[in-house]
Amino acid sequence: MKSSAFCRNWLKSLPPTQGDLQKEQVFGRKRLLEKGIPSPEDEAWRLSNLNRLNEFFALPLTIKERSNHHFPEQEKSIKRLILNTNKCILEDILPEGITKLSNREIEENIGNIIKTCNIKNDLAVSINQAASSDLLALRINQNVTQSLEIIIPSVQQQMISTRVIIILEKGARLDLLEVILGNNQSAQNHLIEIKLEANAELNHELISFGQGKQASSLSTLAVEQSPQSKYSLNSLHQGWHYARFEPRIIQTQGDASTTIKSLQVTSAKEQIATHSLVRFEGPNGRLDQLQKAVATDSSHSIFNGSIDVPKKAQKTEAAQLSKNLILSKRARIDTKPELEIVADDVRCTHGATVSQLQEEELFYLLSRGINKEAANSLLLQGYYDDIISNFSKNAQRWNFIEKLIKATNK
Amino acid sequence: MNLSNSEILLSIEDLHASVEDKKILYGVNLIVREGEIHAIMGPNGSGKSTLSKIIAGHPSYKVISGSIKFKGINILELEPEKRARIGIFLGFQYPVEIPGVSNLEFLRVSTNSRRNELGKSELDTFEFEELVTESLKIVEMDPAFLERSVNEGFSGGEKKRNEILQMALLDPLVAILDETDSGLDIDALRVVASGITKLSNPNSATILITHYQRLLNEVTPDFVHIMANGKIIKTGNKELAMDIEKSGYELINKRTKKKEVAK
Amino acid sequence: MNQTNTVEEIVSQPYKYGFVTDIETEKIPKGLNKEVIRLISNKKKEPEFLLNFRLRAYDQWLKMEEPDWSGLSYTKIDYQDLVYYAAPKKDIKKQSLDEVDPKLLDTFEKLGIPLSEQKRLTNVAVDAVFDSVSIATTYKEKLAEHGVIFCSISEAVSKYPELIEKYLGTVVPINDNFFAALNSAVFSDGSFVFIPKNVNCPMELSSYFRINSGDTGQFERTLIIAEEFSSVSYLEGCTAPMFDTNTLHAAVVELVALDQAAIKYSTVQNWYAGNEKGVGGIYNFVTKRGECRGRRSKISWSQVETGSAITWKYPSCILQGDESIGEFYSIALTNNLQKADTGTKMIHIGKNTKSKIVSKGISAGKSKNSYRGLVSISPNAVGSRNYSQCDSMLIGDEAAANTYPYIQSKQPQSNIEHEASTCRISEDQLFYLQSRGIDFEEAVSMIISGFCSDVFNELPMEFASEADKLLALKLEGSVG
Ligand SMILES: Nc1ncnc2c1ncn2[C@@H]1O[C@H](COP(=O)(O)OP(=O)(O)OP(=O)(O)O)[C@@H](O)[C@H]1O
Ligand SMILES: [Mg+2]
Repeated sequence: MKSSAFCRNWLKSLPPTQGDLQKEQVFGRKRLLEKGIPSPEDEAWRLSNLNRLNEFFALPLTIKERSNHHFPEQEKSIKRLILNTNKCILEDILPEGITKLSNREIEENIGNIIKTCNIKNDLAVSINQAASSDLLALRINQNVTQSLEIIIPSVQQQMISTRVIIILEKGARLDLLEVILGNNQSAQNHLIEIKLEANAELNHELISFGQGKQASSLSTLAVEQSPQSKYSLNSLHQGWHYARFEPRIIQTQGDASTTIKSLQVTSAKEQIATHSLVRFEGPNGRLDQLQKAVATDSSHSIFNGSIDVPKKAQKTEAAQLSKNLILSKRARIDTKPELEIVADDVRCTHGATVSQLQEEELFYLLSRGINKEAANSLLLQGYYDDIISNFSKNAQRWNFIEKLIKATNK
Repeated sequence: MNLSNSEILLSIEDLHASVEDKKILYGVNLIVREGEIHAIMGPNGSGKSTLSKIIAGHPSYKVISGSIKFKGINILELEPEKRARIGIFLGFQYPVEIPGVSNLEFLRVSTNSRRNELGKSELDTFEFEELVTESLKIVEMDPAFLERSVNEGFSGGEKKRNEILQMALLDPLVAILDETDSGLDIDALRVVASGITKLSNPNSATILITHYQRLLNEVTPDFVHIMANGKIIKTGNKELAMDIEKSGYELINKRTKKKEVAK
Repeated sequence: MNQTNTVEEIVSQPYKYGFVTDIETEKIPKGLNKEVIRLISNKKKEPEFLLNFRLRAYDQWLKMEEPDWSGLSYTKIDYQDLVYYAAPKKDIKKQSLDEVDPKLLDTFEKLGIPLSEQKRLTNVAVDAVFDSVSIATTYKEKLAEHGVIFCSISEAVSKYPELIEKYLGTVVPINDNFFAALNSAVFSDGSFVFIPKNVNCPMELSSYFRINSGDTGQFERTLIIAEEFSSVSYLEGCTAPMFDTNTLHAAVVELVALDQAAIKYSTVQNWYAGNEKGVGGIYNFVTKRGECRGRRSKISWSQVETGSAITWKYPSCILQGDESIGEFYSIALTNNLQKADTGTKMIHIGKNTKSKIVSKGISAGKSKNSYRGLVSISPNAVGSRNYSQCDSMLIGDEAAANTYPYIQSKQPQSNIEHEASTCRISEDQLFYLQSRGIDFEEAVSMIISGFCSDVFNELPMEFASEADKLLALKLEGSVG
């Protein structure tokens, strides 16, 4: 099989297995050798541009280089970590209340969240395991409230693979801003595993911008939520030639609250996909999910949203809404909610819409003398607003509104 | 009409009850006789609706101890539909919407179930329409409401009229009207009040749960009970209601407490 | 009181059409090969083109693999262990009803479909299909006066071969899917409807399918053609006896609507579902598809699915003509170990095409009820719209409701709107009805009927009350 050849060659190009993550590397590489690359028959990959996935493997793995991205100035009170080589930030001093996991603790924890989230056979996870040679593993200590910024800039003509584990102890609170940036002909693979203990709260902001030509990204987010924890994700995805984002959130005993507000914007020939899964392993769980997408030019936007409510998850309340704008004749939108419900005492709703900008609204603005471009931009801003208004001041420094409007107002 | 020698319809003794493991009623006592009109007032959350739902047999509410008797018979074991058939009627504070179920059909089935109990013949669609047209006049409701789904999309006032319509059709012996006057405009209030008056008779009794004097101006109660923290803490006549309107519960509460202390 | 248990008891109800008619049937030996196909074709005295159609389909079928749908496991069918042709022994092609075996007439009467002149339903013409063969069609003459053809497909093959040749297999190609290919190779009988230009069919047309033999596969084929400016409403009902083996039912239905024509196709499916342990019952693997070929044509599917051990069925609309309309209204009730995987596909190709989907699933016991849908808007379908609503109701904590609505759009000037919810019978609604003296069982069945009312309203009058009764029966616990 041709596709497997890409993958095999890539595997051959990797440095020998070594270091703290050696076991993981062996495991991931073995898995990739055995399973290779998914085929179009594979339902989860059916719509994915597999040629671009193969291109992903064509780039060599970065070892040490630092790239010269220009980042917005940082908020003084917030620690910024930059992960762009596989040997990351060991030297950084962490804010109070955040500690690095010791080697022994890493040993104890590694793989657990992946297992809970049932993603140990996922392609992107295997790639990460095969390639990552270092790991940022942090603990937010009990009842501590902190903020953190993690920036992951891609490197031109190379592939980077980064892995982060964050454990929020009981009652800990964290505001986390993650920024993933592409580059010309770059590939990046990112895996973040998060565990929220009881009463912990994570406000997770994710800005994922392709920028640069032919940037691709495979990123996996695995979250394990204990009872009474709160996880909220606000994410933006734009500008990737090829991107696939897979949030997997498990409420291990239910009784937790999950919020997802996500926006993906595609233009040119981009393909961006989000495959989300939320599973309730116990009663009284809550989910509020809003997934928005805008597709223009010849781009392709994909959303697949699973919600799993087994028998033990009585009294779950879950709502999912997928709202899509298709702005050009050659653009394409695929959206597929998947609800599997076995418990009877639950309230689950989901909805999906695909439409264009509302003509009446546009007409109203035009009739007030606003020109078409400005009117479009106003309407788009309005459309983006229920996602971006949730972003913090700190995140707003990344000036994404302009970028989003520019990508879509043509 | 305070006829202490007329027959007792409803008697509640030392009723303790809870919902979802939360105790709400702490020893309610109440006696209602034929021909009487009772008003129950009390601050939000004091347990008025809870009491009414327990009388009607809502499955979520658990009786811990005490008794409720209707004409001397213990009704605590009866299914809610049986209680309705023997003549207990609850006008809901929040009438439930049931999409897709025709209001007319619903009214007919429920009316027939009560008639059955009374040994009267069942009404067919035509006979029922005649009856319902008469009853509609009492509540000044548009027949168009019959064609719609039960309470679906009804305004607050329309829902309350629909409740009184059901009361008219079911011809109960004890009618408990839980805040049937809330959310009504002046005209609707008059309609509801006159409905209640028209429908009451010497063999039946009415319990009005309300926050406002204005309904009690139209329908004069024989007794006014004040409920607080899951108990009836004070009983009086219509003067008591006016007192509350003037001074609020806080004051009454204090006075009552003082008395208790004095005792 | 345990509400769930009681509701479950109400939903379970014995199957009342489970009897077997004792009648001599002619069956060909078990097994499938080209000889068997030739034999079937020969028995039916078919023209050459049809034999070739069958043989081509058979070749295709051999190349295909039996689908292995996610979540739908069933004991594999041994295709060589099935009988592909069974018919009542006595000569079947009768000129008048008087000649039809009284046992057969009795059977249909017992099923509530009296065929005799005195008793037959007014305003509904019925084609009664027993095992693989159409035994009688009522009101034929009256329909003929209007130029409407309503007969068994075998009869159509001999009387109107040119229509069959022109339309058969044009909506569902022989290689469309495994079961459609199988059906194309071995179909035995079914109904044929042709409504000529400018005719509004003067009465409802109805086919009633009865499976009687246990080991016979059922492969009906239905073809309905509505010419320009014509309209028709067609009803389909089905029952089967109780056997403890599984019977395969793999029908194909093709609808063609030309310019401004309208076809309404309603189904009340109550095949035997197997017992509460999941033994026996019909495997209902059906391909139903309509093509709105003409401008402003309209195809509307409505279905009430209560039977079968496994149902796999997606009545679909290909909206080819500009401004054409597709509709799908569905109620699926599953209980015990039943599995229903049903939904629709709306393929928007023409400009300004519209589609509407309303699906209500009710699952009780350990059953599994899935809605699977596709709404696809192709680049040329400017101004197209879709609205979908699928609601599920769960009864008991072991029942499953899955929803897989798949939306694909390649057209900016189009609107798709999808809404779905999952809930159970609300305790407050139940209490409200009970507190008005309505007993528990009736209250449950009222709420479920109410939940389904959007779909009931779409069923033809004659059918709506029938369907409501069927649902109520399933819900009532009383043996009819
Ligand atoms: N199903 C329930 N679950 C939990 N708590 C409940 C439930 N029903 C009632 N309660 C609680 O019981 C208390 C009494 O409520 P109830 O509705 O009887 O008050 P009320 O006197 O009718 O108030 P109002 O004047 O506002 O109508 C409240 O604190 C309420 O929140
Ligand atoms: Mg109240």
